[in-house]
Amino acid sequence: MDRRKFIKRTGAAAAGLFAAPYILPSGRLFAASGAQLAQHVVFVLFAGGVRQQESVLQRYLGDAQADDVEGNILYNMLDGAPPSEKIVYGTGLGGINPIQSILGQTLQQQGTLFREMRAVSAGHFGGLNSLLQGNTAATQGLQQKPLNPTIFEYLRRHGGIPASKTWFIGNTIGNSVPLLNYSLHPNYGAQYGANFFAPNVTFGPAGDQYLSDAKVYHPQDQLMPIYEMKAFLDNSFENLGTAPTSIGNTPEEKQDIKAFMAEMFTKTQNGTIAHPPVNDSGDLSTVGYACEVMKWFKPALTVVNMSGVDGCHSSFTGYLAAMHRADHAVGHLWDHIQNQIPEMAGNTVIIAIPECGRNAQPNAIRDQNDWYSFDHSDSNSLRVFGMMAGANVPSNLSIGGEGNQVGIVTDVVPTIAEILGVKSEVMGAGLLEPGTQSLFDRF
Amino acid sequence: MRSQRSLANGPAGFLLLALLFATGCKKEAFIYEVDTVDLAQFDGSKDREKTNQEYAAILHANLFQTALSANDLYKIDQCIQSIGDKQLAREVIISNFMNKPGVIIPSDSSMHANVDGFIIDTYNRFLVRQPTEAEKTWFRNSIAADPNVTAELIYFSFALSEEYLFY
Repeated sequence: MDRRKFIKRTGAAAAGLFAAPYILPSGRLFAASGAQLAQHVVFVLFAGGVRQQESVLQRYLGDAQADDVEGNILYNMLDGAPPSEKIVYGTGLGGINPIQSILGQTLQQQGTLFREMRAVSAGHFGGLNSLLQGNTAATQGLQQKPLNPTIFEYLRRHGGIPASKTWFIGNTIGNSVPLLNYSLHPNYGAQYGANFFAPNVTFGPAGDQYLSDAKVYHPQDQLMPIYEMKAFLDNSFENLGTAPTSIGNTPEEKQDIKAFMAEMFTKTQNGTIAHPPVNDSGDLSTVGYACEVMKWFKPALTVVNMSGVDGCHSSFTGYLAAMHRADHAVGHLWDHIQNQIPEMAGNTVIIAIPECGRNAQPNAIRDQNDWYSFDHSDSNSLRVFGMMAGANVPSNLSIGGEGNQVGIVTDVVPTIAEILGVKSEVMGAGLLEPGTQSLFDRF
Repeated sequence: MRSQRSLANGPAGFLLLALLFATGCKKEAFIYEVDTVDLAQFDGSKDREKTNQEYAAILHANLFQTALSANDLYKIDQCIQSIGDKQLAREVIISNFMNKPGVIIPSDSSMHANVDGFIIDTYNRFLVRQPTEAEKTWFRNSIAADPNVTAELIYFSFALSEEYLFY
């Protein structure tokens, strides 16, 4: 080889080294290729089964009961005058004092409202799965982890997002909610899962008894030897059963989460959790802790689940109160992001969609106001609204309407993927419900 | 001659030959003083994962040598369910147990006085089996090499190990 060839080849090799693909911790070869519309997404599972009639259609008692009283009870989310009489959804005896709006401008004005979308399941778990998997989850078992990858896994695998940057905050450990942080899909699964807390349990009485008094070990001098010995023991063990769950928090992330937990126990004891102004339900309490998670971790994706409205199976009055509180929770979340978390203010998109609606016709149960209750199993249960606001979301835009469904609930998965820059990877995975597309493509 | 030939070819000759075969050279069986070794897996083929309540009950028994009430087990189960990273949840629960009075852990001086005995006891207590020679050697070396490795940390690592999650 002559000198010229040698220099040429050496130069080419050096250039190749510089241009070589960067392998992310997630295992992907290249960083996400799509441009991000925002750095953070907060996805509110406005769940429990919300009828269009009492939410976006603002019919209050006019459709469900014999009383001809209409009006808007979602003060933070929707434009519209509240009911003028028979107020039962607020605070105080009989719920006569509505909770004042937190936001100066409704989310409808700040963002885009899909007035009527199609839900794909009339059940809670199926509905939640459709929102997180982007699939109908037709073969999904009730006490089974998602069969197809969740949005958490898509983001972590294709976006290289660390575990502590994806959070699922559940309002309960019942109804299989804790199963939703990752799927059983062989190409995704636990290693790409989200962190999960059910704060009312984790930081409630049980957690206070068994989680709050953790001995603090030195990360290097004590925890590292523990992890080394554990690794040796694990290597010696031929695991014949199911692999134990690990969502891939690094030791540093674990330390950070433990520190967060310690802080939450202190704040809970001191009564300084960032709860909404009115905090008289499990949903509202959950949202307070969700605010704390966002403030501490600044996640790329935070999913918050609520379900108080499901009391509508036996109490229409309770349903109205829970829906009013869910709106209060959403308003508080958005306000907290804008005013208390500077890293996320102006750089976050909020999305809120119910997982299913409720029946057109009531069941036989009447509540204390002699109002009929509603289950969820008919075609009316497949009518829901969708809403998003924030960075790069068109403001004051309303799409579709009664009798003109635009969008499917499964659309939320590619929508979040588009906001966070991995839309093409998610669409390319081929695991979404046919016809599913980003809500940005529905405009 | 004729009668002698017939005797050798007859039944008596056959019997004689058979006797010679039966009592003749025999291959000697040598024993080299090696015990019979059971080739089953040393981890005891643990293939069933403990439930959260089973885990908590056994952990508490191993650390405190007392039983937890059903109500306590139920609450610990809820705590584990409420945290997505199960290993993290177990770490926090073990850390809480370690912070409570009544934990029964050998002192570090007794561990150093009889390292092999400590290792064997720990394997028996947590993993319900004898350690292999390789395992004994590894832990012996770790204890000798790192002054930070205490009996408590070793107990912690066993309680956190995958094998401890199975039975």
